[in-house]
This record gives sequence, C-alpha cells and structure tokens, in this order.
Amino acid sequence: MNFKRFVRLLFLCAFLLTFVSLASAQIKLEVKEHVLANGMKILMIPKPGVPRVVCHIYYKVGSINERPGITGIAHVHEHMMFKGTKMMGVTDYEADDALNRQIDELMDKIYREKYWKKDGDQQKIAEWQKQVDELIKAEKKYIIKDHLWETYMKNGGTGLNASTSDEVTGYYVTLPSNKVELQMLLEADRMMNAYFREFYSEKDVVMEERRLSENSPGFYFNEQVRASFYAASPYHWQVIGWMDDLKKMTKKDLIEFHNKYYVPNNAVAVYVGDFKPEEIIRLAEKYFGQIPRGDDIEPIRTGEPPQYSHKRMYGEGPGMPNLQMWFHIPPEGHPDIPALSILASILSGETGRLTKTLVQQKDVAIRAMAMARPQWYVGAFTFNVIPKMQKGVKPEDLEKDVWEEIEKIKKDGVTPEELQKAKNKTEASFVRSLESPMFLAMRVGRAELNRGWRSLLTDLEDMKKVTSDDIKKVAAKYFVKDNCLVAIYSRGQGR
Amino acid sequence: MRKYVSLILGLLLALSVVNLGSAQVTRPEDLKFPPLKFEPPNPANFRVVFANGLRGYIKEERTLPIVNITAIIHTGSLYVPKEKAGLDAILSECLIKGGTRTRTGSVIEDRIDFLGGTLNFSVGERTAMLSMSVLSKDLDEGLDLFFDVLMNPEFREDSLKLAKGRLIEQMRSANDNPSQVLAREYEKVLYGDHPLTYQETKATVEGITQADLKAFHAKYFFPKNIIIAAAGDFSRDQLKNKINKYASKWANKPLSFPTISKNFPQPEPGVYFIQKKINQGYISIGHLGIEDTNPDYFAVQVMNFILGGGSFTSRITSKVRSDEGLAYNTGSRFTYRWGFPGTFAGYVQTKSETVGYAISLILKEFERIRQEPVSDAEMETAINYYLESFADFFQSPIGTMVNFANLELQGKPMNYYATYRDKIKAVTKEKVLEVAKKYIHPDKMVIMIVGDWEPCNKGSDKFPGPLDRLGKVHRVKLLDPLTGQLVD
Repeated sequence: MNFKRFVRLLFLCAFLLTFVSLASAQIKLEVKEHVLANGMKILMIPKPGVPRVVCHIYYKVGSINERPGITGIAHVHEHMMFKGTKMMGVTDYEADDALNRQIDELMDKIYREKYWKKDGDQQKIAEWQKQVDELIKAEKKYIIKDHLWETYMKNGGTGLNASTSDEVTGYYVTLPSNKVELQMLLEADRMMNAYFREFYSEKDVVMEERRLSENSPGFYFNEQVRASFYAASPYHWQVIGWMDDLKKMTKKDLIEFHNKYYVPNNAVAVYVGDFKPEEIIRLAEKYFGQIPRGDDIEPIRTGEPPQYSHKRMYGEGPGMPNLQMWFHIPPEGHPDIPALSILASILSGETGRLTKTLVQQKDVAIRAMAMARPQWYVGAFTFNVIPKMQKGVKPEDLEKDVWEEIEKIKKDGVTPEELQKAKNKTEASFVRSLESPMFLAMRVGRAELNRGWRSLLTDLEDMKKVTSDDIKKVAAKYFVKDNCLVAIYSRGQGR
Repeated sequence: MRKYVSLILGLLLALSVVNLGSAQVTRPEDLKFPPLKFEPPNPANFRVVFANGLRGYIKEERTLPIVNITAIIHTGSLYVPKEKAGLDAILSECLIKGGTRTRTGSVIEDRIDFLGGTLNFSVGERTAMLSMSVLSKDLDEGLDLFFDVLMNPEFREDSLKLAKGRLIEQMRSANDNPSQVLAREYEKVLYGDHPLTYQETKATVEGITQADLKAFHAKYFFPKNIIIAAAGDFSRDQLKNKINKYASKWANKPLSFPTISKNFPQPEPGVYFIQKKINQGYISIGHLGIEDTNPDYFAVQVMNFILGGGSFTSRITSKVRSDEGLAYNTGSRFTYRWGFPGTFAGYVQTKSETVGYAISLILKEFERIRQEPVSDAEMETAINYYLESFADFFQSPIGTMVNFANLELQGKPMNYYATYRDKIKAVTKEKVLEVAKKYIHPDKMVIMIVGDWEPCNKGSDKFPGPLDRLGKVHRVKLLDPLTGQLVD
C-alpha cells in the first residue's frame, strides 16, 4: 500500500463515517455506518454492558436469485460455507485439492450417466461410485472436520448459525467482546477463499432437511399453494428448493453462484454489543477491505403478471384443516404498503376483528389471522382461518365469513380506536425489537440490503399517517376475486 | 511545517502498525486477544422482599422506555390430577381471557393491546409464568392489570368454551406430527403412568369447570409461592412501592406440596416401533438421565458436549451428519426437570432405509465414550466453550432476573453462576470417562422409532435389516388423542 493511497483512504473513512440518529417521540435507533472502498458496508450499534458482541454478516442473495434447475442452491451454498476454505478445514491444501478434482470429475461422469441418459449404464455408475468412495476415504486424512465451527465454539461463540431466506443469507455468531477480530478473519476468509469440500454428502444432508419438512403436516399442500400463487416470479419455489434440483445440482453450479454473489459489494456486516466503533472499523478495513470488489449484480427481472383469474385449490392430509386466501399486493416501499400493514394488524391478534367475529361471536373458527408480506419484489396479503370442526364447520364454509369482513372494511373502513391501537402496537413492538441485540442486528442487516436501514424508521412514520380512508382504498383495490387464490385444506388421507 | 511533519510521522506509524498486523496474522490460532474480565452479577444485589413475603429480583435498565415484568408461580401440570388432565392448558388460556372480578377478559386484552403491550400466561411442568411488557409511560396501568389478573381471576364461561374448543381441535392432530409423537411416546415409555406423562382426553377437558380453575388458582397463587422478576425503565424504589400496594392486600395460605413418586419403570430394552407412513424414521435412543442438582451435572454437560451436544464439534453430529450425510438433525441430549431425573437420548431423523445404520453409528459412539478417554483437543474445545460463552447468560436483563428467580424458587444454590466457571474448569478427562460409564447404559437402551415399518426394517447395504438385530422389537400402538383409547 503506497502512502498517497493511504492518506486518501483515511480521508475517505472520515467522510464516510457518519453518525446517524433518527428519532421520534419514543423511537431512537442509532447506527454507525462505515463503507469500505470495495463497497462493503459495516453497521455498528454499540450497546455497552455485557462484554459480548453480536457479529452478523448478510449477503444480498437468496432463493429468488435461483432459476429452475438450481432451486435450493442458495441454501445448499450456505451449508457449504461451513465446509472449509483454502486455509480452514484442511491440513494440506494442494494434496486435498488434487483428490477433490478427481472426485468432481468422476461425479460429473456419474451425473451425466444417471441424469442425462434415459438408460444409463448402472455398472459404470457403480464402478465410478466405488472410485469416488475410495477417494473420499483418502481425502479424510487432509480434512479438519468443521474447523470453522469448532474455532468459533472454543472461542465462546454462541448463536452460531446461518440462515437462507428468499432474499437474504445471513451468517451469525456472538463472541466475547475481545474476539471480534476472529469473526472478521474467518468471514473475510470464507468470502474470498471458500473451498467446497464434502459437497456430495452435504447435499444428502440437505435432502434429509427437505424430507424433515415433507413430514411436517401440510408441507406438500403449502408448497403447492405458494407455487400456484407465484406463477412467474422466483418466489414460486421455496428456499429448500425442489428435490430434483437438489439431486442434480453440481459443484460447478455452486462455484458460479459463489463467485457471483459472495462479493463485498453485495454484503453488509452488522455489529451489536460492547465495542468501540473505531476498533471495528480498523479491523474491517484490515480484513474485509482486502477483498476485491465484484461485478455489480442485476436485480431480479421477473415480477408477477396480473393474475386476472380466480384460483382455487383443494387438498387433504394430516394436521389442522385451514382456509387460506392469498391476494397479490405490491412490494415494500410502495405507498399502499403502510395501509395494508396497519389493516393486517387490525384484523389479527386475539383482539383483532377476525378473532372477534369468527372465533368469539360466530364461534365457527378456533383461530383467524391476516398477514401483510410485502417482500422485496412482489407481495402477498394472506388470510388464514382454522375451522371449529367440533361444530361441523369445514374450511370451505369460512370463505364467505372472510369475504363478509373484507366487504365491511371496503364499505365502512375501520374505527379510530382500531386505527390508534394498530399504530400503538406497531410502534411499541418496534421499541421492543430493539431490546434483543441479535434480533436488532437481523432487522437492521436485512433492511440495509433492500432499502437501507433507515427504511425501518420511515416505514414506521408512514404507518402512523394511515387513515381509515387509506384502508378502504387499498381493500377495494387488492381484495378482489381475480387477484385471489383460495386454498382449502381438509383433514384426511394423503400427505 | 512542524505540524505537517508530525502528521506524516503519525501516519507512517499508523501505516507500519497496519502492515505489521496483516503480514503476520493469517490463521485464527495466531490471533492474540486482549484479556477480558467478566464477573457475573450477584443475585443478592437485585433481590427484594415485598409485603407479605412476596419475593423479587429487579433491575433498573433505562436504555429503552420499556418495562418487563414476570411473576413465576410454583405450580404446574405436575399438580393436576389425572382425571382433570388438560387443566394446565385451559388455565394457561383462561387466566387472562376469563377476566377478573371487575374486568372482563376482552377489556383487559383490548387495553393491553391498545397500549402496545403484551401480557401472556403459560403453565409449565412445575412453574407458571405471567409476563408483561409495556412502555414505561404505561407502567402504572400495566401493573394494575397484571396484579388484577394474578390475584382476582374470574374464569368466565366464554373463556372456558373458547379454550376447550381450541385445545380439542389441537388434540385431534396430536398424532400427526412425527416429532411430537416421538417426544410424547418416548417419555411415556421411560416414566410410565405418572403425573409427568398424563395425557388429556376430550372427556377430561370437557369435565374441567370454572370451579376447578378457581380452586386451583386459590391453592397456588399467593405471595409466598411467587417470585417476581422485573427489568426495565423504572426506579427500583418506586417499583418496590408500587408492587407493595398490591402485595400488602394479598393474603398467604398454608400449602404443602404432595410427594410425588420417583419410582419409574425399567422398560425392557429394545426397539419400540411406531408405524407412520412417512419417508424418514424419527429416532430417540436412551433411558432416564439425571437431575441437574446432581454433583456430576457439570461433568455430564462436558461429556455430552463431546458426545453429541456440542453441535458440529460433537462426535455424533460429525459422524452421522457430516461424514455420512445421513441426517440434518442429530446428536445427543440430557434434558432436565425440577425434582426428577430428565431423559438422555441420542437422536436422529434419517430416510427410512438408513434408519438401522444411523442407529448403529450412534450406539457405537455411546460405546466409545464409555470405553476410551476423550482427547485433549475435545476437552479443550468443550471447556473453553463453556468458559468463554459464560457472559451470554446475562445478555438479557429480564432473562437474568428470571434465572435468579428460578434458582431461588427451586431451592438451588444462589451462587450457581458465581461458581459455574470453577466447576466447569474442574472437569477432567478421567471424570468425563467416569460419568459416561455411570450415566450411559448400553444394556438399557430404549430405541424408539417413528416411521414406516417395511423400508425401515429392510435397511440398506451398510446395515441390512431386520431391525431386531438391534434388540427385541415392540410395536407401539398410538392412542386416539380424543378418547385415549387404542386406534385400530
């Protein structure tokens, strides 16, 4: 690093290190921001006290960045990020790499024989598989099992985990406040030097994870509901992906995916806890700052076309029966979203309208709720009602009751008390969400990757401005039959 | 000019420091961390005694305008008679919804919701908790509702009807979820017919009356049987005065808790198979465990961390998940319950054909940890994990106060946290081997499987069936959750 560049960098740091605090009557959220030259963002929320620091890193990638053929890869990749780097998880990188290449070549042959041909040669497959098994055995002596995980654990890492959603993938650890540097070193290393060992057995693990979901009552039906509702956009498939894709995706798919999305300009690191921001910035510059910037990433292309159809689905299986009604709504940041969010709050909860009428007055349901899920690109407003079977009520009987509630909203709007209650609830639950460092890191990190962390506060302000007329307007606009999917799930035989 | 020179010198210095750092440090083991001292908070500093012997642990925490308060009551499902099974669930729902002498349930819920607060009640095995969170500006009104619910519940009929309706619908699908079935049936085999395992039926639920709830409440809800935990934006003295206003009008009662048998059956070892047409087997392998007051508790924790409790660093996870790709979720656990031994189980869920193989791998690990001392590296990871993550216990102020309250309620030593790290440090390799031998009994294993018999029994290359290779097979029939009778 030459001197001139260093000075410029210092100047840039001072410029970018802005201290931001937005406040309303009750709400105060202070986040220190720092942007590295490679585009990576560092967000810091100091909370002096217990000497722990929540260290999260979020990448702007999830299952919506997939396409048919590689569905589930964002999540498989998240698993593989624990399978080593050029430095971690291996005693002799070159020797291990040589074996891995042979394994990949053989697996490529196996996949072609198995999945590209109608009647692949089983004998060949068995032969190659035997060679693979031998190589895997030989590789064991170079592998340090779950090295990253163990390193975090023996340094007192808790909340150690990772998660993949439709839009975001996060990697989490909470460390003693004197050990944040460890997280920077390990996370920078796996962003830059990930090396995917034990890929094929890890795919088996993920397939077991999918089977676990499959055995949870109602899974298959809900998977179909979602796929029917989202016809075109990549929200069509679930994060876990389709079993066929899990079986057939390759190491090459994985590496391409990694190289495209795991770049500093597509990531934000969030720290919440007992630390000095200057120290975090110094370490972030040192570890994350050395990673080269990647290509810009194009947003998702495919949204949802207007439905202009009334969709209905029926299914039966184990678990509780229910009626679901789904309506398309716009994504986060659209001016109609605050009114839809407030409406969902008014309809839901134990004192919400749906519980009061369907559960308490009419006594036809045991639970009834509504949810507004705007998401990043396309949104959904959903109703979910569980019938009271003891009284002979079937899920399909409840549809007219939900429509009745919807029509009441369209015609009369909501009461001033309901409106105020929803606003109070929203605001107080926001304050409450600031209590848990882990939850706070999660909200701030995710928000940052879409519309910036300040959107948490501006959304709140927008919700406080919603009127009964706004609610009447959005109800009339979105709650119409040809924008709706009705899904009826009954208790019975089947999966 | 002079200023300029010193600036340059300063920058050069900074530069050299940075370069030194990045040149040397590449691997995690090379990092040097500054020392960190942490002393756990002392429960005595937070303890208060209110009027009539109501006890509390309270902590001012003024960074956010919120107050959290929890009442922990010594009562629970353990004290519900068999013919009233389900009373704990109905009580959980009706304490708030049933209203009080002066307020209906919906008045209370509406008001709490309007204030943006939360108020929840749930009854566990031996403790029940009423928890409230309100903005600090609403503290007085919140406390009024909180103590009204705690002291004067009325259990109105409409709340009973709602709660029973919900519980019965839920019970209908009690045999649908394989992990729920496994958890329930595993305990039924290990504890037998005992207050810890009583199951409600439609008849017991329908038989629960307002009078039953009132009597149950009257018996257990009084100041000396409750500890309050609170943290948030209040002055400690003021909060004390406010709570005293309620406590001083709340009379104590005599109460002696029944002695409940600690004799449990010795189930015949072997395979306990529950048929369900699914594509995996859900498996628990083990027997009864220990109480957490056992002097070997810390050694057992360290042993189990190495065996299957330390997620990826543990042997079972490493073997069954990471090496073999057989499962997403696998490991071993000791569970704990107040006053009774908990359970020990190795667990895994794996596709039907690898059920036998996965079980055989777990049994091998049970054997191994009983035969050979663990490695120094395994010890180091386990011990360091507990020592270095210790401060995590105290991340949440209300959580810390609840932990202190629970220690006192259960009569555990109040220096539990103060001595925690020393007790972990005292665990040796020899001790780990000793407790593995003492508390894991391969000859007593109940191997419970919820899955599809044909493919599970057939197995695969690495472990061809039949399953009776693992021990005598008992086919367990499920009861109809509504009637409590056998299903055909």
